Amino acid sequence: MQFTKPSVVKLLGLLAATALFSGTSAWAQVDTLASIKQKGKMVVGVKADYKPFGYVDPSGKVVGFEIDMANEIAKKLGVSIEVIPVVAANRMEFVKQGRTDLMIATMSYKPDRAEVVAIPEPFYYASAAALFAKKNSGLKAWTDLKGKTVCGIQGAYYNRRTGDEFGAKLLTFKGSTEALAALEAGNCVGMVFDSTFYAGLTGEAKWADYAIMLPLIDPEPWGMGLRKEDAKFAAFISDTLKEWHKTGFIIGLEKKWGISPSPYLVEQNAKFK
Amino acid sequence: MDSVSAWFKWLHQTSGIKLTIFYDRYDRSRFLEGLSTTLELSAIVIVLSLFFGAIVAWLYGTKYQWLRRCVGAYVQLFRNTPPLVQIYFFYFAIAPLLPKVGGAPLLGSMGWAIVALTLLETAFTAEIFRAGIEAVPKATIEAAKALGYSRAQIFRRVVFPLALRVTMPALNNNLVNLVKTTTLGYAIAVPELLYMSGQIWSEQVNVTEMMIVLLFTYIAIVGLINQLMQWFEKRLYVPGFGQ
Amino acid sequence: MKRSPQSSRRAVSPSEFPDTLSVMLPFRLRPQVGTMDRSSGGGLFVWQTGVLLLAAFVGSVATAQVQAAASQASVWSLLLKWTPLLAQGFLFNLAISFMAMLLGTAAGIGLGLARVSLFAPVRGTSWLVVQFFRNAPWLVLLFFVMFLMPFEFKIGQHTIPFPDWIKSTIGLALPIMANIAEIVRGAVQSIPSAQWEAARSLAFSRRQILWQIILPQCIKRMLPSWMNWYAILTMATTLASIVGVSEVMTTVGHITAAEARTDFLIPIYSYVLLWFFLYCYPIACYTRRLESRFAER
Repeated sequence: MQFTKPSVVKLLGLLAATALFSGTSAWAQVDTLASIKQKGKMVVGVKADYKPFGYVDPSGKVVGFEIDMANEIAKKLGVSIEVIPVVAANRMEFVKQGRTDLMIATMSYKPDRAEVVAIPEPFYYASAAALFAKKNSGLKAWTDLKGKTVCGIQGAYYNRRTGDEFGAKLLTFKGSTEALAALEAGNCVGMVFDSTFYAGLTGEAKWADYAIMLPLIDPEPWGMGLRKEDAKFAAFISDTLKEWHKTGFIIGLEKKWGISPSPYLVEQNAKFK
Repeated sequence: MDSVSAWFKWLHQTSGIKLTIFYDRYDRSRFLEGLSTTLELSAIVIVLSLFFGAIVAWLYGTKYQWLRRCVGAYVQLFRNTPPLVQIYFFYFAIAPLLPKVGGAPLLGSMGWAIVALTLLETAFTAEIFRAGIEAVPKATIEAAKALGYSRAQIFRRVVFPLALRVTMPALNNNLVNLVKTTTLGYAIAVPELLYMSGQIWSEQVNVTEMMIVLLFTYIAIVGLINQLMQWFEKRLYVPGFGQ
Repeated sequence: MKRSPQSSRRAVSPSEFPDTLSVMLPFRLRPQVGTMDRSSGGGLFVWQTGVLLLAAFVGSVATAQVQAAASQASVWSLLLKWTPLLAQGFLFNLAISFMAMLLGTAAGIGLGLARVSLFAPVRGTSWLVVQFFRNAPWLVLLFFVMFLMPFEFKIGQHTIPFPDWIKSTIGLALPIMANIAEIVRGAVQSIPSAQWEAARSLAFSRRQILWQIILPQCIKRMLPSWMNWYAILTMATTLASIVGVSEVMTTVGHITAAEARTDFLIPIYSYVLLWFFLYCYPIACYTRRLESRFAER
């Protein structure tokens, strides 16, 4: 077979490069607000495995803190809402493709994420990276994770630090259910995820022996995601968020879902009053 | 190397094509780790499957009919069921039932991938060897018998070397298919090339670029294997047979 | 011992030439169309294999049954309970396999004819395409198609949704297309040139020769390999579960999560293995029978 000849490989590369890299060109200007009003429906990407921000209730409906926020926005626009479950690995892709108009999916703000999707300010929540492990695991510092297997979620911003700086071997999964299953099976010594996630696990008997073992690191605020070229929609969301902080709407949601009060929201509330 | 990474950084800034594996140390190390795991997995499985495949092919000729039937059943089972379901069977159905060693499972995902893929490849290799063994003329075997070789010796010294050489092209094809099948390790979180690339693209959101790099990497691996096997075939040619 | 005049046209078997001094006999693993593909199963063991495997499956379920606590439902009843849902998923897999095979065969015949084209650029491009799709792992191609194809098409005013299962069908049809192209090429090249010459002397155009004379003869030669690839494709449809399509393996995941019983795991996975086996093994046996029938010409 002569397809190993260097000239052939180069030709292959040229073909593919021209065919594929030239394909995607960004839309000039996107007007999501207009298309939402025309469709009468807003498509929102939310989490479905992150209690209580977005999860599936016994009846099979996706409910949660963030779904309530999405419903409120839809009410303001006077449209109906369609909720699509997303995970960290695909939430930004879906917004980019236009599959979701808006994304409220526990996404922490990071400068390189802001290059992919627009993250309007102010932000609506905050969390930090935490390690969930057995109480008797003997872990005292993040550097203790060197060489140990740690479960995680694909696409989280602290995976890099855990794997690169602290030398842990990361076993990442698509959703939190698989990661928790691996933790339970003993495939990893602990799970690294948002500190706010583990509040949803307290009270479950099988996690009685587990706790957040290490000090929280890398606190980051959470933002919504929408397409980069969409200035009007971004301005609308930004104004909505400012209003919510002013009226304390988000603090009210916090109480409704039984989330322990976050100092970030109190501070934002004071700022916008 | 620096000029390469500088060029890719420039490419990202000007055209938005994000190929972080060239200029980011962590991404590059993960990608290379995935590549080495794929090659390692393929190498371990092919060596094991060649060894066990030869044994199974030898068992095909046994005089005990029940043993032949069992071996045949094993080969047919693994050839006619989906490899993914086989891997899931070992990782999700059998693994939870095995005892734990100090809190950690006995075999990690890599271990189970090796087990499942070895069983699969042994089945295919055994079929190939069986056809190769049938291609050895009876006259040669009778000559060996006449010289006083036992059945095991005939297999080891006469039949198997000839069968190996005549089955080289089919084994090459088999090896290429194995390298492609290692991607199934993605499903059980084996840190092979596809899985590592998946981690990279979910963090960097550069799916298109990583996909293209991935496709070309696999094609390059296959090309290399083909070259290697061609060299091997040349060295192991049977005088008077073929060219 | 005299060789019979027919022997040079029949399939060779070692016992035919007891006094030959050939170095090696022909290596007979694959059908005669000259393509390197995974051959069908050995026809040595026919129904006995199926019986043995059924026995193994029943044995595993019985063992699980024995281990089950008295208060829990029996494993048999659980399997029965979930069979309709599993059957739905399995039928979906078969539907994907039919569509992908159809698409792949149609595209593959076109690509295969391009491989024997008289124009060098067409030949070269089709060779590149075939090499590309034959040497890429199926799962990577699936990911490729899933991520890079849009989720809906806008034609004028209308938006046509492009659901995941259609994308995965296309993703599976691509390597099939490349492999069928190779089978077609091999079959076309195995037709004796006498056919081409005779057709040309009767003033057939190249297109007429291909479609009216050569391809009809190729169908018989391609059939065993084609069926073999169909079996491989059916087994590959399970890959769609990894990219998010809801088929039988996704269903199994839901079932095991819903039941949450460690003694149910082996039975349910063996059950699904059995279904695939019962579908693919007869295909393999029939393929083998066709091969041997066509080999004796």
